Amino acid sequence: MTGVTVAGVRRTFGEVVAVDSMDLEVPAGQVTALVGPNGSGKTTLLLILATLLTPDAGSVSVAGFDPVTQPREVRRRIGWMPDVFGTWETLTCREVLATVADAFRLPRATTPARIDELLTLVHLADLADRPTQVLSRGQKQRLGLARALVHSPEVLLLDEPASGLDPRSRIELRGVVRGLAEQGVAVLISSHVLAELDELADRAVIVARGRTVAVESMEPDRVTSTPRPWRVRALDVVPLLARLDASGRAHGDPGPDGVEVEISSDAEAAQLLAELVRDGVPVVSMHPAAGVLEHAYLALTEDRR
Amino acid sequence: MSETLANHPGPAEPAPAAPAGPTGPGPLPGAGTWRVSGRGILTVTRLELRQRVRSTRWIVVLVVWALVLGAIAALIHHALFSDVFSNLDNAQRNAQAGANMFGWVVLLVLGLGSLVAPALSATSINGDRSAGVLATLQSTLLTPAEIALGKLLAAWLTALALLAVALPFIGWAYVSGGTPGARLVVTVLLLAVMLLVVCAIGLGWSALTARSASSAVLTYLSVAFLGLGLPMLFGLMLPVVTSTQVRQVRSMESVGTVDPNQNPADAPAMRCVQREQLDTVTHYERIWWLLAAEPFVVIADAAPMPPVSQRTGAGDDVLSSVRTGIRDLRLGEPTVADYCYEQGADQQAIDAQRLAQRERLGITWPYGLAANLAVGAGFTVIAVRRLRAPARKLPRGTRVA
Repeated sequence: MTGVTVAGVRRTFGEVVAVDSMDLEVPAGQVTALVGPNGSGKTTLLLILATLLTPDAGSVSVAGFDPVTQPREVRRRIGWMPDVFGTWETLTCREVLATVADAFRLPRATTPARIDELLTLVHLADLADRPTQVLSRGQKQRLGLARALVHSPEVLLLDEPASGLDPRSRIELRGVVRGLAEQGVAVLISSHVLAELDELADRAVIVARGRTVAVESMEPDRVTSTPRPWRVRALDVVPLLARLDASGRAHGDPGPDGVEVEISSDAEAAQLLAELVRDGVPVVSMHPAAGVLEHAYLALTEDRR
Repeated sequence: MSETLANHPGPAEPAPAAPAGPTGPGPLPGAGTWRVSGRGILTVTRLELRQRVRSTRWIVVLVVWALVLGAIAALIHHALFSDVFSNLDNAQRNAQAGANMFGWVVLLVLGLGSLVAPALSATSINGDRSAGVLATLQSTLLTPAEIALGKLLAAWLTALALLAVALPFIGWAYVSGGTPGARLVVTVLLLAVMLLVVCAIGLGWSALTARSASSAVLTYLSVAFLGLGLPMLFGLMLPVVTSTQVRQVRSMESVGTVDPNQNPADAPAMRCVQREQLDTVTHYERIWWLLAAEPFVVIADAAPMPPVSQRTGAGDDVLSSVRTGIRDLRLGEPTVADYCYEQGADQQAIDAQRLAQRERLGITWPYGLAANLAVGAGFTVIAVRRLRAPARKLPRGTRVA
């Protein structure tokens, strides 16, 4: 299965350049995060991938087809969950999904079973026959995810799926998305909840001002492009500082949460921890001060507009 | 009309093939803007009707509609059947009053229907867009034509519900006498068609404008142009097509000289004389089509006349008058202008000749109906084109989703 390939895509609205030049690869079986400041062109790019907008320039391939010349081929293979979530207020959850199933021309016979399956997946089974206007924002988001999955797409485009979700729903969303990726679905997810993406995504594409500025892999045991801070806390801060100074490591001032230390890789972190323990420093915890993604993101998007 | 549109030569592909499921074998061709399937249209229609029926206090609307129609129909009935000065015998009088009541009730249903129908479709596309649900449909396998026609069908079915509630009042006028059954059938069918045209106009405007307030106003203006604007335009055009020219004129003239001392009883006889002279001529035949496209004129002209009127060739009820009126206008002024107003044999011959000429011209309503259908089809095509995705341009002030 092929995922999404985007090369040199540009899209303007009159004078406004929404997407300047974006490159993107969404491999099948992986979760790719699309992160960037507000107005950096994420939603516009997703609309292009969802066959709703034409790009001005560049090439796009979604599930092996061109969304401009073969939109129907693309549509039957993608599930799109928009950021501004509108819903048919007076329809029940079941009717919403049945309408979408009809719109994708799914066989009628299997539709009810598919709908039950999806409602169970997003934990809305007990609200199946309530009109969607009584749903909370988070419940609507979950219905939106179910709606995007009705026709078992091979490419999933999720625009801010986690917004409005309670912590449990977020964890469940993570489970659903990871499960789909393991089945071979190519997932592109745009989000602002960076810590969330750390655990969810395999790769992150960072965009700013309509351009792709970096692609971060989030495989475990990777060497990040820049050293990032880890936070080390000990029962007694004095031996900790003494040991860090002795080994010549750059560190910040001690605070209630411990001391920040610059570390480049997981291997280096493990090595430092081993040294500290060996030398009898009473370490309580040691963890990255910010997620991989958050760190990379903040470094790359300082010129927020 | 949906069938007509379904066969519209689309830019991308002509053949609406059988819909293939996502797991189906055949590849889906091109953009498929004009491709339609029954299931696709009905999916949208069912969605629209569910939303509309559940979101409006629907029963209240129908009850108010019935009350208003009933009250006015009762007033019309009273006005026509209480004409104590009529010198016609009872049966004739009832037939005439019944035929008139039928005509006025039809005008009432058309007028009120044209006021309500725009509300059914004039916000259906831009309303969905601002609610963020239009893109949800566009990103499925539904084609733009299916979305547009599905919405049009839903609006029309709702309008037909209003027409159905109006049927008892039309029926009341019918049983009051004087209306042939064929007129009842033709009139109700054409009312349904005219409501479809109004729904299509609303749909088109809702695709063209971003705000639902604009599309509602533009739809009302368009409908008002058809119903009221065209007759007004016709009136304003009259001076433009009026000129002074030489033609045959019949007028009363005295024979011989007038002698003031003469006994009045021996005054020279007045005689109807035909001669060529300058006269003011209004060329109705150049602008009749302005009136012929007016929806009520279309209905009146298409509705078969009662037998009484057929004998004289003149209409003595409102529908028949409009029908003979529009055909007279199309014929234009007679080549021989008659200012004698005699009842003699000459005059009868002239009347008969004109009647024959008028009959030869044939019916005018197909032109009017075609014009209205063309307007409706045009707006529907606009709606379909505006629903195409991926979009190159967006309507000003809108987001895709």
